[in-house]
Amino acid sequence: MASVLLPASLLLAVLMLIPELFGDFMAYQIGLYLIYGIAAQGIGYLWGKTGVLPLGQALFFGVAAYVTAIALRDVQGLGAQLVLALLVLAVLAGAAFVLATLIFRGRSESGPYFSLVTLALAMIAEQVAGTATGLTGGFNGLSGFQSLAALDPFGGFYYVIVAATVLVSLLLLILNRLPATLIARAVADNEPRLQLLGFPTHVVKGMAFAFSAVIAALAGGLFASHQGIVTPTSTGFALSAELVILAAVGGRFHVFGPLLGAVVVGWASAELRDSFPYWELLMAVAFILVVLKAPGGLAELIERAFRQAWPAKPPVPQPPLEAPPPLAAQAAQPLKFQDVELRIGVVRILNGVSFETPATGIVSIIGPNGAGKTSALNTITGNLHPTGGSICLGDARIDMRPPYRALGSGIGRKLQVPSVFFSMSVSENLTIAMMAGRARRLDYLKPSTFRWRSAALARVLEHPSVPLKDEVTQPVGTLPQGHRQFLEFAMTAASAPPVLLLDEPCAGLSPDETALMTDLVRQYQAETGALVIVIEHDMSIVEAISDKVLVLHQGRVLAFDTYAAIRADPQVSMVYAGGTK
Amino acid sequence: MSLVLILNLIWQISTLALVALGLAIVFGKLRIMNMAHGEFVMIGAYAPVITASLGLPGWLQLPVCILTVALVAFVLERSVIRHLYGRMFDSLLATWGIAILLREGVELIFGRGYQSVSPPIAGTVTILGADYPAYRIAVIAGIAVGFAVLAWWNRRSKVATRIKAMVGNPELAQAVGINTARLSAGAFVFGCCTAGLAGLVLAPTIRIEPMMGLDYLIRAFFALVVGGLGSLEGLAIGAGIIAGTQSLLGALASQTYGYLAVLTLSILFLWLKPDGIRPSSR
Repeated sequence: MASVLLPASLLLAVLMLIPELFGDFMAYQIGLYLIYGIAAQGIGYLWGKTGVLPLGQALFFGVAAYVTAIALRDVQGLGAQLVLALLVLAVLAGAAFVLATLIFRGRSESGPYFSLVTLALAMIAEQVAGTATGLTGGFNGLSGFQSLAALDPFGGFYYVIVAATVLVSLLLLILNRLPATLIARAVADNEPRLQLLGFPTHVVKGMAFAFSAVIAALAGGLFASHQGIVTPTSTGFALSAELVILAAVGGRFHVFGPLLGAVVVGWASAELRDSFPYWELLMAVAFILVVLKAPGGLAELIERAFRQAWPAKPPVPQPPLEAPPPLAAQAAQPLKFQDVELRIGVVRILNGVSFETPATGIVSIIGPNGAGKTSALNTITGNLHPTGGSICLGDARIDMRPPYRALGSGIGRKLQVPSVFFSMSVSENLTIAMMAGRARRLDYLKPSTFRWRSAALARVLEHPSVPLKDEVTQPVGTLPQGHRQFLEFAMTAASAPPVLLLDEPCAGLSPDETALMTDLVRQYQAETGALVIVIEHDMSIVEAISDKVLVLHQGRVLAFDTYAAIRADPQVSMVYAGGTK
Repeated sequence: MSLVLILNLIWQISTLALVALGLAIVFGKLRIMNMAHGEFVMIGAYAPVITASLGLPGWLQLPVCILTVALVAFVLERSVIRHLYGRMFDSLLATWGIAILLREGVELIFGRGYQSVSPPIAGTVTILGADYPAYRIAVIAGIAVGFAVLAWWNRRSKVATRIKAMVGNPELAQAVGINTARLSAGAFVFGCCTAGLAGLVLAPTIRIEPMMGLDYLIRAFFALVVGGLGSLEGLAIGAGIIAGTQSLLGALASQTYGYLAVLTLSILFLWLKPDGIRPSSR
């Protein structure tokens, strides 16, 4: 708690001192910078954590400012005004959520599309605000209303702004310590992996966007009351751009970064704008330099200097908690491909693949490169949708659902190139894996969720030969390839899926590590009674683990039988000996 | 529908296609989301203002436009953009900064106010009984010929393949003998020059001002969203749908409604058909 309360009370103390030290006019100006800073904090959270960049945040700022202005003019009584404010915040949050989830649905990256749509929305809002004269006062703006609770913008209202700044900062500081933010960061780090762990990433992004919209709207409401006039520029693209620059220059990864950016840029701008004609050019160059050289902005530079003087204490390991059971516990079921076809453009990848696995056991998929092995797994998890035929697990058809529903239908998957959350520590990776398929809504807001561990995960981690237990606090980016393979296996196994898909789990492993991995796979199958499907090139491993072997060749099933029968099959040896093509 | 309305539509579509062409090259091939694309349109539109203020003859507008835009684009590519291949999000941010830089730079030189220039070809021609500005007819014909030549060249040349190789794996592309520095700079500068050219041909028909670029960026981007990044054909379809929707609704209702319709259409496409009508083969 100290790590939250200390910075928040320091911020409060500094802001409370400003009117005493610098006088009311300075406090009035700083109040305006703080308002922009609050909106930029919302951008900082959305952009810094989830990697989604909103270029039209002034839309929410401006709409809230107009509504506030109208409410302060026409609605009587503080209570009614505050109820209206809550209503507006809820509507804006809902609209933001719907917009973001619609655009991000079916994508596994954040791309430029969303950013440009938000930019266009802000431009339209500015145009509407300028032309709907009856509602907004047109280009002259809306004015002639009292400040909130009739507080003086040069006096008492400053403390309202301080309260809002400290509250938003406190909220962000707390949020950053909750599992919800861990999931948000995972979106920016490795979205396809997060989807395979069962998280609907478009909903995560939608919620983060709605949250940032609410913060921007809060700032907009304060702005109207503080300035006493709202013009179309309050909802336009120039303000949107400036808010992004404040977040970038100040530092989007830190709670206080955008506030710092707003105050520093605002103050320098007020000092220099009139005397130095190249000020705007200088800002643009500074912004480009931050993007190229210092993506963490001022806050990160300060933190780095601070950490050199006072290094961070390593986190104290917390006692583990038994994780709740998976929400959708299923029994193992046979997986059935029926005439599955997959074409991408003119390339035919799968040409009528049909087979039915047993409900439990280990099935190996072998075949030359380009046979369609990984593509077959992609159709099972929904990363690719077949262009013909059907795939069923038990009686349920699974071929047309998106990847984030795969785990819910009982399918966990380890990818070919180890895919983990590279910017996070091993223990953070494991926490996300433990939440997969288990966490309910409230669990995202409980710190105790970080301590979740399960028996299945413990068995992998505590295995005397698995290297991970000494590396829990290390960032995954520094781990060797083999250790990442074990980490991803542990993460996939953690949710105990009844169907486990492993794409070349032994690639890049030493002979000892290979033996360990095959042990772990067999152990997992024996303990859970799962169906495990392994893509493997090494025939000694295939022989050691397989109950059945599926041979794919040029997108067709060449054979599906026991290892001994496959070995005796003349067609299979022909393909592997390089006979006919 | 009157013939003039149809000709106006064709004018809107062909100029939007020209604006979107450079964005399609830079975004579709180089994977650089160039937020400063509209600013290159803006700089191109200032070329007649430059020649007029220097007292140069009118035929120098084209060389001045191409030289100015190419120089600015080349300097920016070598100093900023070349660090950003393969980092699409950072490219968006850095070019956003570049856009501000260019807007403010032009504002410092020419001031914030509107400028206007007269078309190099005056008068009207009569087509099927309708009078239409000769300048616009000439520009439409020029763009049509330009796209035909580009399509022909695109089919024969291997430049697109080399660009794809370079963006996919710069080291390997260098190893197989592709001069990546020249190729990327060339493609970026070419893309920006088509934007500048679009600005030049639009200049006599619009109000020239430092902030004009953003609108072109947005519409060009939405044309790519709708049409897809795959082909010139997709580009033409996207430009047709976006410019068509906007000018029809703009004529029937108001500019704001036209704009709203275009945005709604783009959001619908992003939601239901995220790769556009003619998706890229990547």
